[in-house]
Amino acid sequence: MYRQALPQVYGFLLSRCGSVVVAEDLTADTFMAAVDALERKTAPPLTVGWLIGVARHKLVDHWRRTEREQRSLAVATTAGAEVDDPWPTVLDVDAVHAVLARLSGPHRAALILRYFDGLSVAEVADYVGRSVHATETLLARARGALRRLYREEYGDDG
Amino acid sequence: MTADPLDALRLPVVPVEPRPTFAADLLHRIQHAGSPARDSATVRYFVDDLDAAVDFYRQLGFDVELRPSPVFAMLYRGDLRLLLSIPSSHTLADGTVPGPGGWNRISLRVEHLDHIVGTLRAGGVRLRSSPSTGVGVRLALIEDPAGNLVELFEPLAAYHERTGGETP
Repeated sequence: MYRQALPQVYGFLLSRCGSVVVAEDLTADTFMAAVDALERKTAPPLTVGWLIGVARHKLVDHWRRTEREQRSLAVATTAGAEVDDPWPTVLDVDAVHAVLARLSGPHRAALILRYFDGLSVAEVADYVGRSVHATETLLARARGALRRLYREEYGDDG
Repeated sequence: MTADPLDALRLPVVPVEPRPTFAADLLHRIQHAGSPARDSATVRYFVDDLDAAVDFYRQLGFDVELRPSPVFAMLYRGDLRLLLSIPSSHTLADGTVPGPGGWNRISLRVEHLDHIVGTLRAGGVRLRSSPSTGVGVRLALIEDPAGNLVELFEPLAAYHERTGGETP
């Protein structure tokens, strides 16, 4: 089980946090949390899917901590939504990844859960611990911030 | 509904093998975490009547974790694991049989020491030393049915022990 699940959990985390050190820490946290859960005998059956869910929680917690530490460095994100600012039809995915890294913790978390993982707004709300309505607002602001940075960095080509 | 350009960001889980040393270290941690013996201390007492001993230690707040045979029981009180064995099951190669008793003892923290000692004594428990006040604690010595000593203490104002936060 460990041999099979480890690369999945590690690959999931590495692709989303982009740092070997952080991915290793969060992978260890995830597996240790699973061990604790198993001891309490209340855990659901141990599957890769369940471990990924735990890993996602660890990732959100990590972004939350990062946010507290780096609040002063975060990009100003109070701007409104992207209502009148359509996206180019074709995105440079690598460019989006680079820009994402500069967003604040909550914005990055919301966008990655919603678009990388393809979660519904309600599922994102559960992970970030906000209401669905607040999560919609968060997502709209996060998209707006991403949009602005993307335009500043890479222009639009269309 | 028009496609969302951000849907292009979808990132399926692609397995990545972590560094082998990391994988090995984590496996080691997993295998050594879970076990309940993490920070517990274990003491073994010899008793000649297992039933009587188990009943006695239950009165002191222990619960029975295992009782797999007529010669052995495993009890817990908080982090203390107490093993009770019948002496003949630990006979040495030269024939020496361990015996209960002596002066070394486990020390159990209680509240309302005088009340507890009164209750135990009324139930027939032997007292080797009545409650008395020492430095930082009030304590009493009682005997289990086999004659092993158990110290009961209640902290007083000057009491000190290492707290969780000081553990390295």
